[in-house]
Amino acid sequence: MGKYIVSSSPHITSPSTTRTIMLDVIIALCPAVLASVLIYGFYPLFVTLLCVASAVFFEWLFNVITKKKQTVGDLSAVVTGIILALNLPPVVPFYVPMVGAAFAIIVVKMLFGGIGRNFANPAITARIFLMLAWTGVMTSFVKPIDLSDGANLFAYFTQGVNINLPDAITTATPLKGVKDAIASGANPAEGLNALDMFLGRIGGSAGEVSTLAVLIGGIYLAVRKVIDVRIPLIYLASTAVFTAIFFAGSEYVGEYVWTYMLGGGLVFGAVFMATDYATSPKSAVAVVIYGLGLGFLTVVIRKFGTMSEGVSFAILLMNVVTPLLERIKVRTFGAPEKSVRDMLNGIKEKAAAKKAAKAAVAEGGEGNE
Amino acid sequence: MKTFRHGTHPPANKITEDRQLVDFEVPEILYFALSQHIGAPAKPVVAAGDTVKEGQLIAESGGFVSAPVYSSVSGTVKGIVSLPTATGGKCDHIVVENDFKYEKTGLTPLENPSKEEIVARVKEAGIVGMGGATFPTHVKLSPSKPVDTLIINAAECEPYITCDYRLLVECTDEVVKGVLLLMKALGVDKAYIGVESNKPLAIKALAEACPESVEVVKLKTKYPQGAEKQLIYAVTHRKVPAGGLPMDVGCVVDNVHTAYSTARAVLLGEPLYMRAMTVSGGGVEHIGNYRVRTGTTYSFVYEKTRGSVPEEETGKVISGGPMMGFSQADLRACCTKGTSSLLFLTRKQFNMMEPTQCINCGRCIRNCPMFLLPRDLERAVIAKDFEKAAALGVANCMECGVCSYVCPAKRPLVQAFRLAKKTIRERGIK
Repeated sequence: MGKYIVSSSPHITSPSTTRTIMLDVIIALCPAVLASVLIYGFYPLFVTLLCVASAVFFEWLFNVITKKKQTVGDLSAVVTGIILALNLPPVVPFYVPMVGAAFAIIVVKMLFGGIGRNFANPAITARIFLMLAWTGVMTSFVKPIDLSDGANLFAYFTQGVNINLPDAITTATPLKGVKDAIASGANPAEGLNALDMFLGRIGGSAGEVSTLAVLIGGIYLAVRKVIDVRIPLIYLASTAVFTAIFFAGSEYVGEYVWTYMLGGGLVFGAVFMATDYATSPKSAVAVVIYGLGLGFLTVVIRKFGTMSEGVSFAILLMNVVTPLLERIKVRTFGAPEKSVRDMLNGIKEKAAAKKAAKAAVAEGGEGNE
Repeated sequence: MKTFRHGTHPPANKITEDRQLVDFEVPEILYFALSQHIGAPAKPVVAAGDTVKEGQLIAESGGFVSAPVYSSVSGTVKGIVSLPTATGGKCDHIVVENDFKYEKTGLTPLENPSKEEIVARVKEAGIVGMGGATFPTHVKLSPSKPVDTLIINAAECEPYITCDYRLLVECTDEVVKGVLLLMKALGVDKAYIGVESNKPLAIKALAEACPESVEVVKLKTKYPQGAEKQLIYAVTHRKVPAGGLPMDVGCVVDNVHTAYSTARAVLLGEPLYMRAMTVSGGGVEHIGNYRVRTGTTYSFVYEKTRGSVPEEETGKVISGGPMMGFSQADLRACCTKGTSSLLFLTRKQFNMMEPTQCINCGRCIRNCPMFLLPRDLERAVIAKDFEKAAALGVANCMECGVCSYVCPAKRPLVQAFRLAKKTIRERGIK
């Protein structure tokens, strides 16, 4: 045996590891966490920490029970915890994040084989699960703390401590108003302010409300090349286009477009959840179909569904379609280029061959097959 | 700036780029491998006890795809031994004891040679592709399809290696003369020299020295810019078909050093027995670019360059670059015509991380310069489904190592594909 290490090339590797990627995502989520604290007080921070602690604990526990190698060090459970927390209303009872984290980590992630093997985004599936389990809790949103009144400073510490929310401090999300406008034919932007929606001074899930904070995180991820930027770009663009198409008959089409772009979890979902590695396709054609599908489903659910928000269901559905999209063939470098006509001819030939084979089977008798 | 699609950016680490080429010391005993090239091994024409001169033929070409071997020193033939080669495996080596007199012989210099004379000289002088692949150059100069373009590969995209760069800067005229000779041999009117943008001095020197028929092309600094198909695409936008050769798109690609050695063989009558080589890495003190005589053992190179660096600093020895080079178990192998570099890396300079579970990030897919699906290929190989691996086009993998380099889970992707290619070949899977 020689004294030097022998292995097959390459002998060097990029400094990027699973852990550094997750760390980048955590950094990118910080503006959204900070925004939730500035808007709703310290309670969302408590929820975030609880989600993270629960997610890490359940992954650790799962690995211990199933005698698997410990994986909590890769920080992916921390990411799932933060994303789940930002998907929840700012004020929720303490058991909601715990149950949500358990569902996300154990059912969606670990039972399917852990990181990279989940069939759908864990946080989004947990959000949908919680919506079904505790619909009331998951749809009551507190108002942003109004700082124009100095006395409200106190609310930073008290909001959420009393879980039983009086009606006075709960509010509807902008998309709820838009939904009502679809039925009544009123102006969907009535009472909404684009700047408030961009900054997040509205009712909604803790991390989704501030488009600005989410975009800062998204730009960071794009610069660090952590996410495939094509996915959020196509998703956002197609949502705008499909909104314009679906509301083309309305006199308020412009209002629908901007309220849909800034309202709900669209930007957060596009940046942090649609880009989940395990559940998004990789090849160019598949990415385009995925992004278009996301935008289409989001608008369809928002316009025609019973709920006012459709981002989570759109992402979940497209997650499930991803394995199919991944079957789209990618042309290797130097493979013969096919024109559309060639492809059509190929399909025709295949169909003809099938027909011939069928005919042959029918003629050849039933015996052998 | 021209380039190909996909690829990655490993740190260049060209720490020897400012070190001038200097003659390396010569050991007492040299070992000349009979397989310094792809193809049939050379056949010895000397026997134990014979005296040889520097530049004397000691083994003749073993076939059309083969190349002769010349002694790099004068001295006495001691016999033939079997030794490990740098690329793994073993082959016979002619042992020559150096008399340190350096009595020279060689071929007759050619003045204004014809096309045929150049090809014949390249063959006679034992010139092979010196970027590392060591394919006999005269075979490339006799293409079976019409060729209109010569591309000189001066990308030198592997980290650490700077020997081609030094040749471009210090021996610009000879390189350009070599390019013109290769053009004449191929009968083409146009040649391109592709240089990565991180070598501005080389680009400047070449631009001044090249006639109009030779165009210097500045290429984006990106790995693997020097891969044949990617280089052709970057320079001419022609795509070599999968499984095809450069001549299928009318191109021939030769390395800088090959052009340089061609010029020396034709104009000076010097057969190929010496080459520029980079010695680098944290395990040696005297890093640099050296003119090394073939047959010099790696242990001798290490002994003369280590300086005061403790031996235990070196964790890995690589013949070639860190992306595609071969790690050495010991230092018994010898410098050949294809040894562009010898790296003595410390434990911090190479990857020691254990693979973890694939997180499905898709970086391997987004960066593969051949547009393969490394993630899917690895799954197929792990499942031992070699039919699927073949269907996914593993044969098109050129083993550049980009997938393994970019993988955050540090999965041994290209390593798995090597195994798959070997298995597919052995089992004859189509």
